[in-house]
Parts: sequence; structure tokens; C-alpha cells
Amino acid sequence: MTGTVSNSTSPAGMPKPTPQPNAPAPRRRFFEFKKDIPASWSVILGIAVWACFFGLWEFAVWQQWANAILLPGPGKVLGALYTMFADNGFLSDVLISVWRVLFSFGLACAVAIPLGILMGTFRTVEAFFSPFVSAWRYLPAPSFIPLLLMWFGAGDTQKLALLFIGVIWFLITLISDHVKAVPADLIRTSVTLGGSRWQVLRTVVVPASLPNITIAMRQMLAVSWTYLVIAEITAADAGIGAVMMRAKRFLHVDEIMAGILVIGVLGLLFDFLLRQVYRFAFPYLEGQN
Amino acid sequence: MPLDDVILTATNVSKTFGKKNKTVEALREVSFSVARNELCILLGPSGCGKSTLLNIVAGLEDPTGGGVCLEGKRIHGPSRERGMVFQSYTSFPWLTVFENVEYGMKLNGVPKDERKERAEKFIDLVHLTRFRDAYPKTLSGGMKQRVAIARTLANEPDILLMDEPFGALDAETRWHMQEMLLEIVETTHTTILLVTHDIQEAIFLADKIVFLSANPGRLKTVLELDFKKGKDLKSKEDLIALPGYLECEREITALMRAEAGKSKDDY
Ligand SMILES: Nc1ncnc2c1ncn2[C@@H]1O[C@H](COP(=O)(O)OP(=O)(O)OP(=O)(O)O)[C@@H](O)[C@H]1O
Ligand SMILES: [Mg+2]
Repeated sequence: MTGTVSNSTSPAGMPKPTPQPNAPAPRRRFFEFKKDIPASWSVILGIAVWACFFGLWEFAVWQQWANAILLPGPGKVLGALYTMFADNGFLSDVLISVWRVLFSFGLACAVAIPLGILMGTFRTVEAFFSPFVSAWRYLPAPSFIPLLLMWFGAGDTQKLALLFIGVIWFLITLISDHVKAVPADLIRTSVTLGGSRWQVLRTVVVPASLPNITIAMRQMLAVSWTYLVIAEITAADAGIGAVMMRAKRFLHVDEIMAGILVIGVLGLLFDFLLRQVYRFAFPYLEGQN
Repeated sequence: MPLDDVILTATNVSKTFGKKNKTVEALREVSFSVARNELCILLGPSGCGKSTLLNIVAGLEDPTGGGVCLEGKRIHGPSRERGMVFQSYTSFPWLTVFENVEYGMKLNGVPKDERKERAEKFIDLVHLTRFRDAYPKTLSGGMKQRVAIARTLANEPDILLMDEPFGALDAETRWHMQEMLLEIVETTHTTILLVTHDIQEAIFLADKIVFLSANPGRLKTVLELDFKKGKDLKSKEDLIALPGYLECEREITALMRAEAGKSKDDY
């Protein structure tokens, strides 16, 4: 008993303390490679980033880093938002914008989903459409705005058309790629069980690719919101973008910012809704529930 | 077994992949036959064209020469008479075990009551009764393979084709699956053509082994496992204890070696 180590751990011949089962866990470090963090941390950190953002914004206003007209504080923007909804009928503009996005996106899906599925399944269909679709994908949709304005005027049709061509080509490509990734052995299984082409398409290809098609829709719906704003700020008499452009004419920066806020919230809302659809429609997928 | 009780014959089946300048000769003039209620194993070294041959029998691939007849009729394309179980897990993840097993019968317009009865019978047969309403994501690999087997059998094919069905499973699960397959054969008298490159699996399961040689795939020999004839094998241990087993395994291992030796650097 001369070792310093044993002396320091069990002084005066006391039995060595055994580790307690409820001893405090080893301290968690803030930065760990690829380790999951507790849910509460995610929430706190998620709120923290927004608190930083608004804090910095408020600070900038208070320090008068910019002209007060060009940079109103968060409070003023929220105030403007309230007036817009309460007194200026902003809700009808929001609804018009939402309707434009949903209607054009619905049309795009009605074309892209069947076409994408057929292109991903049959090489002949792909060989016919793919050169066409690929070419259109590289044409930026906003470059059609002058043309669409001349054809359809500044009304709804022009906006719906822009939103439609803004997402349709990518939607088709994404969907056909997902359909192509359906495992060949699933199709071969169905075929050796006696499945006809139509049955294989309906009972294997479609259900196997549906989850990924939903993800593709979620991604492209976000893009659709981008084109909505472009469409509405170029020419419109109603809609969120139109309200923002009108506010610009009167130097109502708070209203412009309120518009941006609403667009952001709506985008998040639709993303959330589609995520819920995914969760409830495909409970059988690995890693769900 | 009477000669006319042959259910499947492959005659001079050849298959060359690829275009004019770059071709791979996978099979050259392979002929063999499978008798009714027989469990026939296609054995051979890796890359000898076993899967290609099985795919041709399934109708998933066309031979470039020769042909396959089922019940005396030349086969064209896939059909429910030749159901196939793959090495990869093919249970449809969006269907429950019951719906998976029922799937093939639904394709073929079997009435609902009969579907239910047959599906339940085969789910019991592969010991998945407790998992009738589970989704495949909750099943182990061996269970998923059992779903695939039950689904194919419930569809009442004339011959069951299997391409290394237990290849992705761990050793112990594989034994159970092999024993279960023999149990199934005993009750259903299904004709089976099964591809493997596992020698022990081949000896354990086979009534007959069709041995292919590599580069290109040709018929090397057909082995009738006489030492097993008339024996009721229930488990792997029974097999290994059987007189003649070791000689048989040594003979086949030597065949396999001879083939692998042809291309020493290819393993
Ligand atoms: N679609 C294809 N195109 C070109 N070559 C192919 C194709 N499929 C198979 N081959 C070739 O044919 C030969 C036989 O392949 P096959 O998959 O039938 O062998 P196998 O005996 O099943 O091998 P393994 O034991 O590895 O599964 C191989 O040389 C392979 O590269
Ligand atoms: Mg193979």
C-alpha cells in the first residue's frame, strides 16, 4: 500500500466507493461530431437564432445604422401587418396569391405526375419527351414574362402560365428520375406473378414511387412561391407581390417587409402541410413512427 | 420416376450479351430437365450464368439460342406459371404481410374468399401467422424472404424459381430457411428450381444438382444424390451424419475448384 493512486482513492482504509447508478452522467460537450442532441436543445437553438436576428435588427434601428424610413423596426412591421389585415383588406390579396400558387401547381402536377411516371417506366416515352423537357428546363421561366404579358395581358392567366412553366419541367424530371429508381426486382416479382403491364404500373411502380413524388412536390412548391412573387411584382393589381409594389411607390417599407414575412410564413406552412401528408400517407416507410 | 414426368426442359440454351464488338457469352448450349415435384439445384462458380439461365426460364430474358419448354409448351415471356423468388428482398413495403401474400392472386382475379383462405394457409406454412398484419419494415431479412416464398406459392405456380434466396441471410437463419423449404416441399409437393453457389445448401436441398462450368456457362454434369435417396432429412445435422455425405461434398468441392482454377486471378 505505497502507491499514491490507491491512497488517494480510498483514504484511511475505507472501502472504495462503488460508482452510483444514479451518478451524474458525464458532462455533455456542446460540440460533438455527428452526435444527436436533445430535443430541447434543438428548440432552444432554433429560437435563439431568431432572437439574434430580431435583436440585431432592433439594435440596428436603435443605432440608426440606416435611414428610419428605409429600415423600420420589427415592431413597426408587425404594426403595419396588423393594419394591412384589419383595414386594407390584405387577406383577399393573400388568398389570391395562395390560389394562384395552388391552382397552377395543381395543373403542373396533373401533367407532370402521369408524364413523369410514364417517362420513368417506358424507355420509348422517355426517348420521345426527354429531349424536349430537358431543353425547356434550361430556359429561365422569367424570360417568358414579356411574351406572356403580350399574349395574356396582366391578368391571372399570365401569372398562372408563368408559375406553370416555372415548375413543370423540373417536376417532370424529378418524378421520372424517382420512378426510374424503383427496384427492378419489385417489377420482376410482379411480372412473374402474372402482372400485366397496366397492373405492374398501377400496383408496383406508382405505390413504390409515390413517397418520393411527394417529396419532389414539396421541393417544387417552394419554387412555385418564388415565381409567384416574380409574377406579381412585374405586373399585377392584386396579390401579395402587388401590394408590396404599391407600398414601394409610397415608401411604405414596413408594408413591404410585412409582405415578405407573410410569404415566408405561407411557404413554411405549405412545407409543413406536405410533410404531414408524407407522414400520414406513408406510415409503412423505414424510419417513420 | 417415369420419363414422361418431366415438367421443364431446357434445350441448348445459349445467351450472349452485348452488341457486335463487345460481347459476353454467358451460356453455351445448356440442356437439362426438371421432373415434377423435384427440387433441382443449379450450382456453379460465380459468374457462370446461373442467374441468366434462371431468368431465361422465368421469361425475364430471351435466350439467343435454344429454348425452354414447360409442360411441353415453349415459354414466351414471364407468367404466373413460373413464379420467382429473388435474392433481394421483394416484399412490397406498402402492403402488410397478408396483402403481400394475397397480391399475386389479386392480379390473377382469384375471388376474395379463396384469396383469404390460400393466403392464410401459406402464411401459416412459412410460420408468419403472428405477423399477418405487420408491414415489412418490422420484419427481419429471413421473414421478408418467407413472405416472398409464401406470396409465390400462394399463386400456385407450376414451378417455383429461386435465385440465391437465402444468399443475403446470416448462416443460422439460412439453415432455418433451408429446413423450412424442405418442410414446404413435403406438404405442397412444389417443383423447385433453385440457384445457389453454396455447396452445402445444394447437397442439403437437392434431389438433383445441375452443375454449370464457367466462361462460358456450360453444363458440366448432373449429379443425382443417390446417398440421400429414401432418407427423410429434417435438419442439417441429419445430413452431415449421413454416410456418403462427405464424399459428395468433396466431389462437388473438387468440381468447383477445377472451375475456379481455370481463372486463378478472378476470385
Ligand atoms: N445484362 C447483362 N449484360 C452483360 N453481361 C451480363 C448481363 N448479365 C449477366 N452478364 C454476364 O453474364 C455472365 C453470367 O452472369 P450471371 O449473373 O448469370 O452469373 P451467376 O452465375 O448468377 O453469378 P453469381 O453467382 O455471381 O450470381 C457474367 O459474366 C456477367 O458479367
Ligand atoms: Mg446470380
